[in-house]
Amino acid sequence: MTDLPKCEDKKLGLLIDLDICVGCHACVVSCKEWNSSGDTKQLSDVNAHQKEPVGTFLNHVHSFEKENKENNESEPFYFPKSCLHCEDAPCVTVCPTGASYKRSEDGIVLVNEEDCMGCGLCAWACPYGARELDLLSGVMKKCTLCVDRIYDHGLPEEDRVPACVKSCPTGARSFGDFNDPNSKVSKIAKERKGVDLMPEMKTKPVNKYLLPKIKSNFDKEFNTEENADLNVSGFLSWVDKALDKL
Amino acid sequence: MHPAPSIILFTILSGFGFGVIAWVGVLQYFLLISSLEVIAFSILGVFFAVIGLISSTFHLANKINAIKSFSQWRSSWLSREAVASIVSLLLVFINIIIIYFGKNTVSLVGIIASLFSIITVFTTSMIYAQLRSVPAWNTILTPFIFIVGALVGAAILLRPDYALYGLVVLFVIQFLFWLYRDQTEKNMKTNISTALGFTEESPIRSFDKAHTNQNYLLNEMVFKVGRKHSRRLRYLSILFSIFIPITIMVLLRFDTYVAGAIVSVIHLLGMYFSRWLFFAEASHAVSFYYDKS
Repeated sequence: MTDLPKCEDKKLGLLIDLDICVGCHACVVSCKEWNSSGDTKQLSDVNAHQKEPVGTFLNHVHSFEKENKENNESEPFYFPKSCLHCEDAPCVTVCPTGASYKRSEDGIVLVNEEDCMGCGLCAWACPYGARELDLLSGVMKKCTLCVDRIYDHGLPEEDRVPACVKSCPTGARSFGDFNDPNSKVSKIAKERKGVDLMPEMKTKPVNKYLLPKIKSNFDKEFNTEENADLNVSGFLSWVDKALDKL
Repeated sequence: MHPAPSIILFTILSGFGFGVIAWVGVLQYFLLISSLEVIAFSILGVFFAVIGLISSTFHLANKINAIKSFSQWRSSWLSREAVASIVSLLLVFINIIIIYFGKNTVSLVGIIASLFSIITVFTTSMIYAQLRSVPAWNTILTPFIFIVGALVGAAILLRPDYALYGLVVLFVIQFLFWLYRDQTEKNMKTNISTALGFTEESPIRSFDKAHTNQNYLLNEMVFKVGRKHSRRLRYLSILFSIFIPITIMVLLRFDTYVAGAIVSVIHLLGMYFSRWLFFAEASHAVSFYYDKS
């Protein structure tokens, strides 16, 4: 039955730092690569090399700019979005065939493709747009937290993390157990006030985001006007005056 | 939301079919129609319900697993709908057999079939009403508009005298639904700030979408075409589904089934516009990631 599990032993999820992310899309590409090869089935593309290519992805990076009220400048930031593995996952309970489920052992939300009839209701139920129907196979696709990687003892231990985490060149993505208060992700999320996306939807997402810091004062201090008074002393002050006289 | 014709036809036609079944059971219980009429209209109701159910399978991308949709009735409204629709259809068949062999018997099966057919329409409506991700649907008005719509459409055919009152009620509910929809869209709790986890509201703008082309999410959930004509379609919907049927009924005072059928068709056309708007005008929370305008 597609009920939600009463309790989860672990709450595996991602901690994504928007302050570090540079929007390079490496996580998007490595996610697609990992989830289209090996034991996993296809994440298909249609018209891949033609005019209007359409493809299935489990991870997207959106680019936003936020207005800084202090200096009226816009600050760009990049926002990677994949399944948040919600505790109260609406996509699971709506599933009529029992294909969608949330694991009680680690809280990962998965789709059993053998049971999926491709009605798309779970994609509608997810407020974040984390699920996409594969256009060729006709079954629902979603982030698995690379369940076929993180438990694979054939891999070296440092590789037993989701592909997106492994590939991130800036370390903006961390993976861990949010149920364990001593895990790295729990500690950082607590210290830096990790936030939920759309808390008003009451989905209780496991994934947490660290918001971009305000970079306001830097621009004010760094005055590049030509005739500005330099606030310097000593030798530099002498150089400043000497150059002014030239 | 994307107004898929298969889903619009499904909700309208199966709603009409189950509405007919609901009326037949009640009218038969109070001996207001003959056995022949019970059998004829039961078959008509089943016909529309089945046509609707078949058209609903058109939007399934992996039809082979459709049979499994009967399994999750404990948690899923879509599964409950599948179960309830089959139960109602079975009850109608049993009722037809009872009426056929024992003429003029008061059959309790008919009224139970009525009950189940209303439950079926209710479960259909709850598929949409349960979605927190689509605030415009997440209201008790959604089940009301589906159930009243189904009962009124069938009443035009079977009991035009009741349908007159029903159309007035439908008009009020439709009006309230649109009012609610407009208010919800205006005062959405979700916005681009909450979507990104910010607590304060400062202007945020998307300067580059996550993908260079259309994708499944945009096709299904960020439907924008046609909202431009929303007002006009609302008027057309009310004109066809409510005003023309009421005018014909008041002026002609017909009591033949042929006239009822013609007016029903006009009414269902109006309901098609209404149901199209139900989908096209509802915005999904994910659209905020795409700079909803």
